[in-house]
Amino acid sequence: MKPFDHYSPKTLPEALDLLAQMNGRARVNAGGTDLMLKMKAGFLQPEAIINIKRLPELKGVTYDETAGLTMGALTTLRDLTRTAVIRDHYPVLAQAAGLMASEQIRSFATVGGNLCNASPSADLAPPLMVLGGTAVIAHQNGVRELSLDDFFLGPGQSALKPGELLKEIHLPPPTGQTVYLKQSPRAYMDIAVVGVAVRLHQVNGRCREARVVLGAVAPIPLRAREAEAVLEENLVDNGRIAQAAQIAADACTPIDDVRGSAWYRQRMVQVLTRRGLTALAAP
Amino acid sequence: MPTSIIGKRIPKLDAPDKATGRTTYGHDVRLPGMLHGRILYTRHPHARILNIDTSKAEKLPGVRAVLTAADNPQTKFGYGKDNTAFKGDKIRCLADAVAAVAAIDPDIAAEALSLIEVEYEPLPAIFTIADALAEGAPLIHTERRSNRFHTYRYSHGDPDAGEAESDVIVEASYKLPYVSHACMETSVIVAQFDHRGHLTLWSTTQIPFLLQRDLSEALDIPGSQIRIIQTAIGGAFGRGLDIYPYEPIAALMARKTGKPVRLSFSRHEEFMAAPVRQPAEVLVRAGAKGDGRLTFRDVAADLDVGAYISWGAVTPLVMMETAASLYRVPHVRFSADCVYTNNPTTGAVRGYGNPQSTFFIETIMDQLAEALDMDQVDFRLRNANIPNSETPQGLIITSCGLKECLEAVAAAADRGAESEEWGAEITNYQLPITDYQLPITKPHLKRGIGFASTLNVGGGARIYRSDGCGATVKVDDFGHVTVVTGSTEIGQGSETILAQIVAETLGTHLHDITVINSDTDVKPWDVGVHASRTTFIAGNAAYLAAVDARGQIFETAAAMFGVSADNLIAGGGKIKVKDDENRVMSLSKAVRKRHFREDGQVVIGEGWYDPPTKLVDKDTYKGNISAAYGFGSQMAEVEVDTETGHVRVLRLACANDVGRAINPMAVEGQIEGGAQMGLGYALTEEVLVKDGRVLNPDFLDYRLFTSADMPAIETIIVETDDPGGPFGAKGVGEMGGTPTAAAIANAIYDAIGVRLTQLPMTPERVLAALDKKRGKEQTLAKFDSTLTC
Repeated sequence: MKPFDHYSPKTLPEALDLLAQMNGRARVNAGGTDLMLKMKAGFLQPEAIINIKRLPELKGVTYDETAGLTMGALTTLRDLTRTAVIRDHYPVLAQAAGLMASEQIRSFATVGGNLCNASPSADLAPPLMVLGGTAVIAHQNGVRELSLDDFFLGPGQSALKPGELLKEIHLPPPTGQTVYLKQSPRAYMDIAVVGVAVRLHQVNGRCREARVVLGAVAPIPLRAREAEAVLEENLVDNGRIAQAAQIAADACTPIDDVRGSAWYRQRMVQVLTRRGLTALAAP
Repeated sequence: MPTSIIGKRIPKLDAPDKATGRTTYGHDVRLPGMLHGRILYTRHPHARILNIDTSKAEKLPGVRAVLTAADNPQTKFGYGKDNTAFKGDKIRCLADAVAAVAAIDPDIAAEALSLIEVEYEPLPAIFTIADALAEGAPLIHTERRSNRFHTYRYSHGDPDAGEAESDVIVEASYKLPYVSHACMETSVIVAQFDHRGHLTLWSTTQIPFLLQRDLSEALDIPGSQIRIIQTAIGGAFGRGLDIYPYEPIAALMARKTGKPVRLSFSRHEEFMAAPVRQPAEVLVRAGAKGDGRLTFRDVAADLDVGAYISWGAVTPLVMMETAASLYRVPHVRFSADCVYTNNPTTGAVRGYGNPQSTFFIETIMDQLAEALDMDQVDFRLRNANIPNSETPQGLIITSCGLKECLEAVAAAADRGAESEEWGAEITNYQLPITDYQLPITKPHLKRGIGFASTLNVGGGARIYRSDGCGATVKVDDFGHVTVVTGSTEIGQGSETILAQIVAETLGTHLHDITVINSDTDVKPWDVGVHASRTTFIAGNAAYLAAVDARGQIFETAAAMFGVSADNLIAGGGKIKVKDDENRVMSLSKAVRKRHFREDGQVVIGEGWYDPPTKLVDKDTYKGNISAAYGFGSQMAEVEVDTETGHVRVLRLACANDVGRAINPMAVEGQIEGGAQMGLGYALTEEVLVKDGRVLNPDFLDYRLFTSADMPAIETIIVETDDPGGPFGAKGVGEMGGTPTAAAIANAIYDAIGVRLTQLPMTPERVLAALDKKRGKEQTLAKFDSTLTC
C-alpha cells in the first residue's frame, strides 16, 4: 500500500472543508470494507484518507409516522438488522442487510458506503429505491436532496461531486409490502448474481403503486418502470405478474462475467420478479 | 487396567493453542535482520525473454538484492525435472518467475518489482489439450518431442469380451474443473544461511525429507546442509507435496544477501502460482449383466497438467485404482494422457485423482442400475468389494466394510431428514430471508436422494521406494514421554492420534506426552504426509517405538520387583505386577532407576515401519500399493429449484470403514472436513482459467462452502479391525470428500431426471441442462470452461 495522509475530522463542516481542499484527491473512509480491499489490491491509491466515522451528523436513525425514516450514512448493516423501527416499518432493509456478508463485516459496513461504492450489485440499492429513498448530500454551502433513482450513474460512479458527502438517507412512510430476493451461488457471504426488490401497494384488490428495481443486471441498479406501469391501477393476478416479470427481464442489460452469464441473469430477473410479486399479491 | 484411551473422543491436543492464537505459523516467523522477498511473474503465458533490466530496481533505497536467472543455477527440478527457480529464456505459464527482489520491507519490494523492465517476444500459446496434441503444435518444452508428458495404459481381463457379454451398456463424457486447495494459510517460507553455508528453511512443506533432496538439486548444495523446520501448517491438502520455484528463490535471495529472507504469497498470488487440481475430460463406458453383475469398464481420460510436472501428474495412478478396483469388475481398460499446456501448473489435492474418478465411476454406476431397473443400493451391494480378497489389479483387500457402509447410508436415507425445514432456524427476522421461505407454493422445488461409494488407500501408498516412517519414544525421569516422529501434522490431528497410541502402549496419561514432528535435524525419516497414511504408517512406527521403550522400562522394573518382565503390566502411569495389587510403582521411578546408576541407560525406544507393499509394475500398473484399503459410502438428499437451477443439499450421510476409530471425534472431523471440500467440488468451487490466466483469484469469486452453507452431516463409523493397522485402524484422511460429488449428482438426477457430467454443478449449468431436456439450448458464458477437446 502506498503511503497516504490520514485525517479524522470531528464535525461535518470540518470534513467538508477538507474534502473541498483535497478536490478529489482524497477518499472517504466509513466502514472501510470496500475501500481497504481496493487499496490493498492497488486499485486505489489515494493521497489522503478522510475518516468520517466520528462525524455525529452522519449518525442515528429517527422515525416519524408522517415524516418517515431518516438514517445517517454511517448506519451499519448490523444496525439495519437490529434497529426496532427499521424492523417494524421497513423490514425489507433488515432482510436485505441480513443477506449481506457476515456478522463481523455487517458491524463495520455502512449504508452510505454500500451506496457510494455504486456497485451495480449493491444489495441495499434495490430495496432503498423501491422504498422511495432520497439521498441527502452535504457540501460546503449546505445540502441538496436527490432521489436514489438518480443517484447511480455507472459502475463505481455515483452522483456525488468532488467536495460532496452523503449525509443521510430519507425514506417516506412505508406503503404496501416489500421484498428483496437475491440469487447467488451461496446463500450467505456472497454477492448478488441478480437482486430484485419489489414493492406492491394494493388498495381494494387493485395495485395503487408498484416498484420493481433490479440489481446486478445493468450498469446501475435499474428501476423497471415499464414493469411497474403494467401493474399499477390493475388487478395483480398471475397473468399480470407474468407479464410484469417478462417486461422486467426484457428491460435489463446484463453482461457475461465470472459470476454469471447474461442469459442466466435475465432469466433470474424474470423468476425472482414473478416470485416476489406472487408473494406480495397473495391476499 | 485403566480404561483404554483407544476409541475415546479426545479433542485435538493442538486445538486450544490454535483457537487462542498461540500457535506459530509460517507467517508468524520473524528473524533478526530479516528481509522480505517478492517475485516478479511474467505477463505472457508463453514467450521468449529478450532482455531483463533490473538497474532501476537495484537503485531503489531499501532494496538489498534483485535476482534473475542470469546469476542463478538453471538446474532442473521437480517430479518431471522440467522446472527452474527463475526463467531465463523461455516462459511457459503465468506463474513463471522472471525476477525476485529482497528488500527491507514488503512495500519496497513491491515497488522495486514495478521498476524491473522485461522485454518479451510472445509465442503462440496452448490452452487446450486438443491444441497441445495437434500436429505441428508448438512445444512447451522444446527438449521433449511432444507435449504429451506421459501416457498410462492399464487393463485387466478382456474388456472387449466383457462388452460383448453385457446386457446393458452405458456411456458418458465428463468435464472436471480446476480447484484450489484454498488453504487458510497462503504459501510461505523463510530461508537463512549460517556461517558454514548451511541452509535452514522454515517451511509449510508436507515432504520435508524429499524437499531436502529436491532443494539440494535445485541449489547445488548437499542435502546434509539443508535443515527444514516445519512451522505449524495452516492447511495443506496436498499443496506441500512438491518443490515449487518460490522455495529455491527464497534460499537464493538469502544466499545473495546474507540475511534471512521471507517470502509469503498474497491470496491473489496463491491462486495464481500455487498448484491446482488437474482439470480432465473423460469418456467412460461400462456394462453389466441382466442379473446385476458388472461386466466391464472402459475409461479414457485426458488431463491438462499445465506447464510443469509435479507429483500431481501421477494422479492417474489413483484414478486407475478406482476405475479398476471399486466394486468387482472382471474386465477393465483405463487410459490417461497427461498433457502440457500453458495453463496453470497442477499438483496434488486431497484425494489425488480419486474425487475425479469416483465422480464418473459412481455416476456411471447409477446409470447402469437405472438401465437394469435395479435399486441403486442393491446394485452396488451386488458388486461390492469383499474382505480378504485380491482385485484383478493386485490390490490385497484385508478388512472391508463397503457392504456395511452401503447399508448404513441406505438406512439413513430411509430414516428421513430429522428436520424438514432446514434453514428455518436461521431467520430471526420473522420474514422471508431467502426465496425458499417465501409464502408461495413451490412446485418448482424437487427433492431427490443419491448414493456413491469410495475406495481409498488406507495403509500407506508406495509411490516412492520407501513408504516408511521412523519414530522414537523417550521417557524421562519425570515420566514425561517425548514422541519424535518423522510424520507431519497438517491439521489432520496426527499428533493426537500418535499420542493416544503411545499413551495406550506405555500405559501412561495423554497429558504426559509431547509429540515432536517438525525438524529434519531431529526427526527420523518419513516419505511425507499424503495418501491418508499417517495413522497407519506413523502410528505403527510410534507403536513399535513405544513397545521398545516399554521393554526397556519393564526390564528395570522386573529386576526391582524380582519378577519376570512378562508378569508386568502398565497402566495409568504405573507399572504393576499382574495379579498382585500391592506391587505397584510409577513409570518414572523405574526410569530413574535405569538412568541414575553406574552404567545407566536412557530410555529411548525406536521404531521403523515400512508396510509390506510394493511399487506398482511400471508397465502394467498392477501390484499391491497399500497395506490396507478404506471404504466409504455417502447418501445425499438434495432439493433442486427447477427455475433457478440452485441445488440445496439438505443432508449428507457419510459412512466410513476406518478399521478402528482411534479417536472418533477426529474421524468425524476428517469426514466433515472432507465433505466440505466435496460439497465445494460438487457445487461451487472452480478456478476459472482463460488464456492461462486465473479469472477469480479470491474468496469472493472462488466459492468455498462456508459454515452457513453446510448441510446437516451424519457421520457413521464402521469398524472392521484391520489386521495390519495400529489397534486395527486404517486411514481416513481423504475419503470424506471423495464420493460427495457423485452422490449429489445422483441425487440431482433422482430429483429432476437430468444427469450432470460437468463439475461444479452450478445453478447455471443445472438450469442449462434442464433447458436442454426441455428442448432449449443455452449458450453458457465464454467463461464457462477453458477445456475444449
